[in-house]
Amino acid sequence: MALHTFRLPDPGEGLLEADIVTWRVAVGDQVKINDILVEVETSKSLVELPTPYAGTVTELLVNEGDTVDVGTPIVSIDDGLGAQPPAEPNGDGSEAQVPNLVGYGPRSATAKRRPRRGTGDGPVETHDQIADTFSTYAPVSRRADDREPLQAEQDAPTGAPLPGPGKTAPAATPSGGAVLAKPPVRKLAKDLGVDLGSLVGTGPGGVITRDDVTVASKPAEAAEEISTPVATRAASEDVRIPIKGVRKSTADAMVRSAFSAPHVSVWLDCDVTATMQLVERLKSRREFVDLRVSALVIVAKAVCLALRRTPELNSLWDEAAQHIVLKSSINLGIATATPRGLLVPNIKGAGSLSLVELAAAIQEVVTTARDGKTRPADMAGGTFSITNIGVFGVDAGTPILNPGESGILCLGQVSRRPWVVGDGAEERIEPRWVTTLSVSFDHRLADGAQGSTFLADVAAILRDPALALLY
Amino acid sequence: MITLTMAKALNAGMRRALEADPKVVIAGEDVGKLGGVFRVTEGLQKDFGEHRVIDSPLAESGIVGTAVGMALRGYRPVCEIQFDGFVYPAFDQIVSQLARLHYRSRGLLQMPIVIRVPYGGGIGAVEHHSESPEAYFCHTPGLKVVTCSDPVDAYWMIQQAIASDDPIIFFEPKRRYHERAELDESLAPAPLHSARVARPGTDVTLIAYGPMVKTCLDAAEAAAEEGHQLEVIDLRTLSPLDMAVVYESVQKTGRVVTVHEAQLNLGLGAELAARITEQCFYSLEAPVLRVGGFDIPYPPSRVEEEYLPDLDRVLDMVDRSLAY
Amino acid sequence: MSDISGASGEVELVQLLTPEGERLEHPEYSFSGDDDQIKNFYHDMVLTRRVDAEATALQRQGELGLWASCLGQEAAQVGSGRALGKQDFVFPTYREHGVAWCLGVDPLHLLALFRGIDLGGWDSEQSRFHLYTIVIGAQTLHATGYAMGVERDGLVGTGDPDRDMAVVCYFGDGATSEGDVNEAFIFASSYNAPIVFICQNNQWAISEPIERQSRIPLYRRASGFGFPGVRVDGNDVLAVYAATTAALERARSGSGPSLIEAYTYRMGAHTTSDDPTKYRLADELEHWRLKDPIERVRAYLRRSGSGDEPFFADVEAEASDYAADLRARCLALPDPEMLDFFDWVYAEQTTHLAEQKTHYAEYLATFEDVSQAPVDGLAPAQSASGRQPQPAYPGGVH
Repeated sequence: MALHTFRLPDPGEGLLEADIVTWRVAVGDQVKINDILVEVETSKSLVELPTPYAGTVTELLVNEGDTVDVGTPIVSIDDGLGAQPPAEPNGDGSEAQVPNLVGYGPRSATAKRRPRRGTGDGPVETHDQIADTFSTYAPVSRRADDREPLQAEQDAPTGAPLPGPGKTAPAATPSGGAVLAKPPVRKLAKDLGVDLGSLVGTGPGGVITRDDVTVASKPAEAAEEISTPVATRAASEDVRIPIKGVRKSTADAMVRSAFSAPHVSVWLDCDVTATMQLVERLKSRREFVDLRVSALVIVAKAVCLALRRTPELNSLWDEAAQHIVLKSSINLGIATATPRGLLVPNIKGAGSLSLVELAAAIQEVVTTARDGKTRPADMAGGTFSITNIGVFGVDAGTPILNPGESGILCLGQVSRRPWVVGDGAEERIEPRWVTTLSVSFDHRLADGAQGSTFLADVAAILRDPALALLY
Repeated sequence: MITLTMAKALNAGMRRALEADPKVVIAGEDVGKLGGVFRVTEGLQKDFGEHRVIDSPLAESGIVGTAVGMALRGYRPVCEIQFDGFVYPAFDQIVSQLARLHYRSRGLLQMPIVIRVPYGGGIGAVEHHSESPEAYFCHTPGLKVVTCSDPVDAYWMIQQAIASDDPIIFFEPKRRYHERAELDESLAPAPLHSARVARPGTDVTLIAYGPMVKTCLDAAEAAAEEGHQLEVIDLRTLSPLDMAVVYESVQKTGRVVTVHEAQLNLGLGAELAARITEQCFYSLEAPVLRVGGFDIPYPPSRVEEEYLPDLDRVLDMVDRSLAY
Repeated sequence: MSDISGASGEVELVQLLTPEGERLEHPEYSFSGDDDQIKNFYHDMVLTRRVDAEATALQRQGELGLWASCLGQEAAQVGSGRALGKQDFVFPTYREHGVAWCLGVDPLHLLALFRGIDLGGWDSEQSRFHLYTIVIGAQTLHATGYAMGVERDGLVGTGDPDRDMAVVCYFGDGATSEGDVNEAFIFASSYNAPIVFICQNNQWAISEPIERQSRIPLYRRASGFGFPGVRVDGNDVLAVYAATTAALERARSGSGPSLIEAYTYRMGAHTTSDDPTKYRLADELEHWRLKDPIERVRAYLRRSGSGDEPFFADVEAEASDYAADLRARCLALPDPEMLDFFDWVYAEQTTHLAEQKTHYAEYLATFEDVSQAPVDGLAPAQSASGRQPQPAYPGGVH
């Protein structure tokens, strides 16, 4: 005996469900094909469902009054014949049902991919491989018309036959052209002054990658200092170094900045002993175990805090709209010496980073810059920068603003200097860790009052880090 | 908060429109007494009368042409074309007249007409009942074209379209007519001609509309399991396109795949690709890739699920994009 | 909905056989065939109705996506179908299953169309039965053009019965509102085309009654376009046969087009997706049930003695067997291959489409084969896609 299950079909109105209204058969009834089994109601009409099976009704699987999803088994019929029918090829409809409108019932819509043949290549294709698949063209034969034409008689043609449409256009195989590079890579090359035509691409199919460009913009001899390579020269000859790459970008930027923003510099010597002690304490803390901790990190934090009180130093001169835009976000540039020259990548939203996050971010931008992997987006949008010339053993300078930014703080060397400490009878001279901080700012955006206040705030925090709590 | 199907949402929206403005009339084959073959206009003729909900003779060109005339007389007709494949007899009236009267009259004459068209496949129907002809209308200046993908959008967009003074072709994805959603009427609707991020992501932007929005959301689910976060944009408005939402997404992800049921050749994906390439050139990590129906007439329903873009075809194109 | 009680007394129409099965005389039309021919009509109509019922049941079981029933219109279709000459060519709509039967088109082809296997799989040239046209009225222009071609071929008015031919075009009452149909009338009239337009006025275009389409009887439209029109009782197979025979002779002889309005009733729904209880009354159905086309022929054959119970029983049995066989053949129909459709778009394939087909085939080849489960003991349709064939429908046969 073979048991068949009849599932509720979509009666042609595309609804997800129907109500069982009246069973027209009972268990034990004999049915012929197309005898009416049940009356169901969709949201709009009453429909009678005929049985596709002949045999004995063995079980009514749903009750009158039930609301039943399309695809649900509603009745079992035993056809009285031999073998058991095979199991459902489909799932039991437990997947999400998507209703169809006419006849075919809900499609089980799944959020699962059909399994593909596993190979290392998979569906991934490079430009070249895609081009290869265009190379064949299979013409399709015209549909043969070999019946007798209807016309018994036919006029003879009086003129020459027409030209046919001719050959079809051949398959289009884009050859790729001389230089293969993605748009962002092309832009980077343009910004860095790299000629793509002179490069050999290391990407698949000879595509020039971002790395190819940044490596190419390095000077011929990789050097650790920022000095440009010096060619050997005869005693009385000048040395000519081509203006290109980072040198060129830096030069352009400095000119732009210096001649558009009126620069004013203020400076202050500051006792940073407490900061240095803090740095030592932080180094041993768990949070900083993998991070480089130095005075620079504390200075960066102090700058972010101080900018809250003097937002003019974190603003933008919008000439076109005639606005000064006080930026909500501090995108803090960290001037970094790299083998290719000076780069100032910025940390977006530095003002909302914790000290640990700031330390990690500084480390990241510096490392990335030194590795030549800084993305153009990281070079743009800065609002305030920090430059550390102390590493070169000098105290102070008159830094030039990164174009578009409103201020720059220059950190000098931290050295032991005699300092007046204590007051009244306790007043004495002691060796302390002292540094000079210089700030240049754009006098269009801020006056001496703001510039000085800012610098004083930074120094105050460095002198006594606990005062950071005030900000 | 109420739960309703897209068909009921359209019904409710049209009811509000009929209540709000006595000049609104609904016309089409079987829309009155029967309430429409999909029951989208059910109950409206009973409540608003035969003068406002009109059963039309079997003539699509007549339905649109007479609507033009009624609009000139100050009415706001909402026409129904019963199925996408039957819009063609009306094509001349739509493209030669409806789209041009405002322009012809230098802005003096208004054509505040909505033409509702159930479209798209996946319903097991016979020929001409599963078409996606939206590109023809997007290509016609003077027409606006919108499409809803869910009941909430359906409810608001039909009202906004009827309130618009421009002629609007309003495409309704018929395979989604019976999907349900919750509607909170206290929430303000988005502007009619705005796109929406249906699901945020970072790796690839999927751009879809109408019936394919759900397909792309399913694809994004599957992709998430493979570690890729796909951003899905529901265009909603096909003409004019809301490219601001699109550009912002492309600038974030750098990779785009467009998806529509309509044939690939000269479908909306092509226009999107052109604009995106022009405006976001330096953000593109891969060419804009398109998924669409094959360039053949819609096939018999037994193979339609192979013809229509599905989750696998979408994700295959996503894979190609990521391979760049 | 206005009164369309349509009693023959109120509605002017040609009738040769009453609903009770009595023969009538008519001044212009007569049926000159014998009872054997009428028994054949009976047989054709019963088989047509049985096939139609089987198809409807198959749809309700999820095996067809849709079915457009011709229930009640058997006489209009068999009467005209059997009047066709051996060269005559037919342009149907999508409901002329009885005409297809008369021209020898296997009903399996009709089921295949509604099952979504193809868009019309019979050889229309060989069967002289054009593919079904779903867009309302479009075929009337095609039919008229075909008739114009016949005329240019000189196959009209020769007097040679082996050469003269006419075109028959079917459409419904709703279709007469479409521009295409009116343009077809204009062209047919202007070019004196050898065409017979047969309008099966079954009173309803989905939910819209004939009054919405026309304020005058449809057959009178013809005179506005310049050719004759006649209304016949569409449920009277003899009247339909007689009127069609006359109209075909007229067309073949070169006298041009004519319109036959077969006044009948759509006893079923517009299609299986429709619910007529929403817009028409049960008593209207009952009224037309009394005019059933098959019942009146049965009554006549009983009365004339030409048809006895064994004859009726044989026809019933044949119909049942035929339907059961058709059902089995329908369930065994193989699914179509997506890749094939790329080849049928153009007569001369384009590079672009050939490439697209190749790409798609390669894409398919990247998937693991889905395991096939046989459907009710039949061999699984293994498609190139590796995909399982579409489930006839979760409610269907497993």
